[in-house]
Amino acid sequence: MARNGLITIAEKELFDHLRSRKFLLIFGILLVVAIVGMIGGITEYNKALDSYNKHQSTIDSPLSSYMAEKPSILSVFSSVATYLIFVGGILGIAMGFDLVSKEKESKSLKILLSHPVYRDEVINGKALGGIAALAGALFVVLFIALATLLIYGIVPDGNELVLIGVFALVSFLLIFSYFAVALFMSTVMDESGTALIYTIIIFILLSVLVPTLANDTVMETVVGEHPELPQELLDQMQKSVDTNATESSAIVVSFANKGTDSGGAWDAYNERMQAYWEKRQMVRDTFALFSPTMNYESITSMITSGSAGRSLVMSTGGNTATAFSVASTGDAGVEDILAKIAANLVALLLFPAIFFGLAYVRFMRLDVR
Amino acid sequence: MIQLEHLTKEYNGVRAVNDLTADIPDGEIFGLLGPNGAGKSTTILMLVGLIEPTAGRCLIAGLDVAREPLKVKQQIGYMPEDVGFYATLSASENLSYFGKLYGMGPKECRERSGDLLHLVGLDGVTKDVGGYSKGMRQRLGLAKALLNDPKVIILDEPTANLDPQGVADYRRIIKGVAKEGKTVVVSSHILEEVSRVSTMIGILSAGRLVAQGSWKDLARDLSTKAGAEVTLLIETRDPLPEIVHPDIVSADYERDRYRAVIVARSDIRDSIAESLALQGIRLRGLSREGLTLEETFLSYYQAEG
Repeated sequence: MARNGLITIAEKELFDHLRSRKFLLIFGILLVVAIVGMIGGITEYNKALDSYNKHQSTIDSPLSSYMAEKPSILSVFSSVATYLIFVGGILGIAMGFDLVSKEKESKSLKILLSHPVYRDEVINGKALGGIAALAGALFVVLFIALATLLIYGIVPDGNELVLIGVFALVSFLLIFSYFAVALFMSTVMDESGTALIYTIIIFILLSVLVPTLANDTVMETVVGEHPELPQELLDQMQKSVDTNATESSAIVVSFANKGTDSGGAWDAYNERMQAYWEKRQMVRDTFALFSPTMNYESITSMITSGSAGRSLVMSTGGNTATAFSVASTGDAGVEDILAKIAANLVALLLFPAIFFGLAYVRFMRLDVR
Repeated sequence: MIQLEHLTKEYNGVRAVNDLTADIPDGEIFGLLGPNGAGKSTTILMLVGLIEPTAGRCLIAGLDVAREPLKVKQQIGYMPEDVGFYATLSASENLSYFGKLYGMGPKECRERSGDLLHLVGLDGVTKDVGGYSKGMRQRLGLAKALLNDPKVIILDEPTANLDPQGVADYRRIIKGVAKEGKTVVVSSHILEEVSRVSTMIGILSAGRLVAQGSWKDLARDLSTKAGAEVTLLIETRDPLPEIVHPDIVSADYERDRYRAVIVARSDIRDSIAESLALQGIRLRGLSREGLTLEETFLSYYQAEG
């Protein structure tokens, strides 16, 4: 009895993807944006590094030592992450929206299921073929990204390589999430066009609408406005900034300034601020559970900032995000970062699993007439 | 080889197939006849294991289709009505893919595909199946149905899109595989086609199997049930006497009585021939000019209501 159905189907699906014009076209776009994003990221990184070096050589205030952090190599992936949200999502959708519906339309599903294969081998084989194609595409992108780094003379260390690996994994999970949604729609709908439209609606809902619900205005309605900085601390900060002008575009504020006369006020403010942001983050995390895009943004902003201090994305709907480090610890260990992204990572794993599960159940009950 | 036991299928409370029982022996070409919506395709889908019966069961080579679908599918070859293939693959690539699903090795797939494409007249075609006509897809469908050298071949409307040469090839191939002892089930609403290849007929009406048997027996039986009249032409070398039979409706003798046209309620040719032989009358011809095949079935369905 033949029991090689899963592998045979997965193999065919993989080669179908690799020979498909739409896959090659979107993969090509993905490669271009990855290279462009990497080059842009490397340029920004080099600027930030120069700025940091200059800043380090002009330190003359205890407060100013907290005003700049050494930029992380991972920050070069920041632009790639922004592009991947859209191009990756579209790639996932393009690969999945007609996997089953096309077979219904061409009547090949009836022929396929009349062969000695279980139905779960068919749906699992299709998913496996898609996963292999996605993984292959991302591997090529990652390889080119690393090659670009090396060409520019940037050599990541072991920890950074691990984080680049995590970045690749979550990028894969993001694309696989939309692939799973598309696959589900493909099993539900009889026509590929309809499946595509519904998948795009879900994509827009999850990548635009849900993040919009978690934006500043909505968030302030739910959580309230953030605590105001006491005037005496503002004055002190202003004085420090005036005397330590820096070219760095990122303003990172440390609330753990224990060495000043206003330490008590800082501590109190710090506690209020931390409680506020944690509440805000909890609300955002709740929204994010339903949106692979938001989870991806959270994880990649944590990885690319290279800090385990909680980075709070204040503007989630657009491309610009202000990192607001609550408790900066400088260059954090990989374990710290992994611990911080664990919840988002689990959510990003669960999302495609749920949609693939739905597609599986639907396909197993599909009425083939 | 094939046994259908009280097979029933309901869709949303409507019975598409109702308590169907039939037994199809090895080596038979079984024609499943019936108008659109009679339940032919539903019966075939249950036979192939693509849908499960609401009640009853199908057995192929003693195996329950619903309980052991993979073992059954290994032994059957199926061609659906609207046969579909992968448009971006060639015929040979399509067959190789399906061959792998039967557990065939690459070499076996290649050789078998080549032989079958030659058999159905597609051996010189290299373009992708997306560029095929419906008739070419149907030829490829027949090749696919024979790919695994099955014991049972199930064909749903196999000649619907074939040209005359394709139909002739199809008949030759089907009769050939039946001679090898394979059982063939052909579903069709084209009576002429079924009558040309089938050795057994089953007639479905509103989900029920209303008649089953050999083609000749069935046609006679149907004529009687439908109340159809048969026109007989008798030609003799000796003058005809008056022919008496309770089924005779009318008789028209030519003046020299060497020729007569008789209208009867049934086909009484055997009885007439016997009677004339007893009287020493030499026959030149005794033919039936009654209803066509199609008219017989239409009469039958009209009589069934």
